[in-house]
Amino acid sequence: MATATPPQRDAPTGGQPQKKKRGGIVREFKNPERRTAYLMVLPTLLIILTIAFFPILYAVVLSLTSSTVTGVGSFTGVDNYVAMFQNPAFLEGLYNTVIFTVISVFFEFVIGLAIALAINRAFRGRGLVRAAVLVPWAFPTVISAVMWRLMFQDQVGVINYVANALGVISQPILSDRTLLLISAIGVDVWKTTPFMALLLLAGLQTIPGEVYEAAKVDGASVVQRFFSITMPLLKPALLVALLFRTLESYRVFDLFWAMSNRELESLSTFVYTGVRISQLQFAQGNAASVFIFVSAFLLALVFIKGFGMQTSTEDG
Amino acid sequence: MRRARMGMGRPVGRRGVGRRGVSRRDFLKVGGVSLAGAALLGTAACGGGGGGPQTADDGSIVVVFSMAPDDSGSLTSLIERFNEDRAGEIQVDYRQQPTDTGAYFDQLRTQFQAGGGDIALIGGDVIWPAQFAANGWIADLSDRFTEEMRADFIEGPVESNTYDGSVFGVPWFTDAGMLYYRQDLLDDAGISEAPTTWEELKEMASQIQEEAGTEWGFVFQGGNYEGGTVNGLEFINSFGGEVLAEDDASQVTIDSPESVAGLEMERSMVEDEVSQQAVSTYTEEESEPTFLNGNAVFCRNWPYMYGLVGDPEASQIETEQVGVSALPAAEGGESVSGLGGWNFYINAAVPQETQDAAWEFVQFMTDPEQQKFRALEGGFLPTLTDLYEDQEILDEVPVIALGGEALQRTVPRPVSPVYSDMSLQMAEQFNAVVNGNATPEEAITTLQENLQGIADQAPE
Repeated sequence: MATATPPQRDAPTGGQPQKKKRGGIVREFKNPERRTAYLMVLPTLLIILTIAFFPILYAVVLSLTSSTVTGVGSFTGVDNYVAMFQNPAFLEGLYNTVIFTVISVFFEFVIGLAIALAINRAFRGRGLVRAAVLVPWAFPTVISAVMWRLMFQDQVGVINYVANALGVISQPILSDRTLLLISAIGVDVWKTTPFMALLLLAGLQTIPGEVYEAAKVDGASVVQRFFSITMPLLKPALLVALLFRTLESYRVFDLFWAMSNRELESLSTFVYTGVRISQLQFAQGNAASVFIFVSAFLLALVFIKGFGMQTSTEDG
Repeated sequence: MRRARMGMGRPVGRRGVGRRGVSRRDFLKVGGVSLAGAALLGTAACGGGGGGPQTADDGSIVVVFSMAPDDSGSLTSLIERFNEDRAGEIQVDYRQQPTDTGAYFDQLRTQFQAGGGDIALIGGDVIWPAQFAANGWIADLSDRFTEEMRADFIEGPVESNTYDGSVFGVPWFTDAGMLYYRQDLLDDAGISEAPTTWEELKEMASQIQEEAGTEWGFVFQGGNYEGGTVNGLEFINSFGGEVLAEDDASQVTIDSPESVAGLEMERSMVEDEVSQQAVSTYTEEESEPTFLNGNAVFCRNWPYMYGLVGDPEASQIETEQVGVSALPAAEGGESVSGLGGWNFYINAAVPQETQDAAWEFVQFMTDPEQQKFRALEGGFLPTLTDLYEDQEILDEVPVIALGGEALQRTVPRPVSPVYSDMSLQMAEQFNAVVNGNATPEEAITTLQENLQGIADQAPE
């Protein structure tokens, strides 16, 4: 199809991109190549509309009604949201989720960056180390959560035993929600730091060595090189990694659910309990899922607009 | 579009490719945010079918029967026997369901919401009937399952099927909380009989803990889950506390001195160091090894654990060392066991002929011969009172001989159409008490208020 395009028509889009803006939609569709592209994307768009946007909108609608799991109820405005913010379980979930996200992402970032910097250097056995670092990340979350639960357990748990022997804790880890939250953060850092390191490593590898050499010649110290070259050049990869991790932590479900045996509440476990287990909190569960969606969206916006994250590959 | 490229002018060319890869990934991520949100918002709405009864090639009526996996194989062989007997008339199709009761419940609920689905007969948990019945999803069996027939069954399971004066299910096999004890340790301590009251249990446990050095006295399930609700209710019920008024499921009556006394007893197990603090995180899975490794004198668990005693892979103690009895009672009160087990329910949405056929199968499965077969082959505890005197069963399934009393003293969990929500509240509060985060009075006051709030929202 594309071969049939008259070259003179193709030229403006390729050569003078500023012109296409003025053309608007009509102009876009007059271009057969672009039209083909739109047509080819259309099925995907339709599918996304049906399976993504419709459920989202429907959930928003449900969250504004007194619906139960068995039927759509009457319109109640923001009542569900008000009730949700008065629900101690929701507040606990929100608190846990925010603390969990902030602290775990912070540590993952610091340790991940350190690891990335270390394995970015050329040394013997680098490939092996890179592979080894990824092992925790390769575990399915549920499996690692259950595994850690065993280690925290009071009968057979090695961590619980050591911590008790050292006098760090006075009661079993699993029976205290604060200790559980700290443990969950620890497990998450253990598990996803490699992922962070990997993304940052990819970013580091795009920085050409010559830049450092030039800086060295100019007499820049290690610290100067890190803050003036590494960090700015790493920023795109860094923001991607941070956004990815932040959103993932924010939606934490399986780790909490499996490791604490449903004891630790997060926003997502609140939604699950409301929508799937409870029969009466269906609408509130929907409200909470809308809340997660909106707040996650805002978080992403902050990254994109606030921190100037690149979302497109076009040079513009 | 964005010109926020930083760098030293050089790395734009070839290096840009690598960076472009990353940028595309983060573009996807923004899409991912929406998709992830969408995933969290999952809601279902499907249509159901209608028409006459489903028939097989040979003209027999097909009864789709749903049940959790049949590990012992005894169910499958009975279904085969039934299908052979009734060839050309009725054909039962076994449809396997998740092992996890919650997941199974969830699946059924989704099907019912969608109009009933094709499952005609449900093998389901004892806590389901009120929740299904209140929505009109399962058929009222009061006329089929007559009062006369009910009299042959153990009372607790029948009660669990009774909602709003009608019977919605037929007890299939049962389960009950029991007290396991270490016969050898009791003998050494000069104790001749298992404890009959909670106080006695505590005294014996403390004595043996001190003398024999056994680490823990009594291990039970105090976790924040359904089992925690069952344990808490056993304490409360044994002291005479009741969650719902006897004749009115919409009236919450948990706020009583008896309920408080029950929870005080549960908490005192931890306070007096008869039970470990960690019992507040325990499910059956954690209680089991504590007892089977010989680290506890007493253990509250379901009958299944008896099968593990003496199994070299799971247990360090032998069958001679273990006794089973009914759970202790309050001073001057009666022993009470939490009821578990499974019943038959008939989908109200399937055609009448299919319901009739399903009922035939229910009668076949619950008659003494088949119940006995399942008891001998799979260790499933019968629901017919007479079978507890059957010599062959008593010989082959020792836990029935030992704990028969507990099985007949079962009390169902509150029969309410909003039980799921009530249980979440109770599990949370009971767990807080065991943990020491709430006093029994606080927990009971909170529960009275919250449970009444839930009961008020029940569908009419």
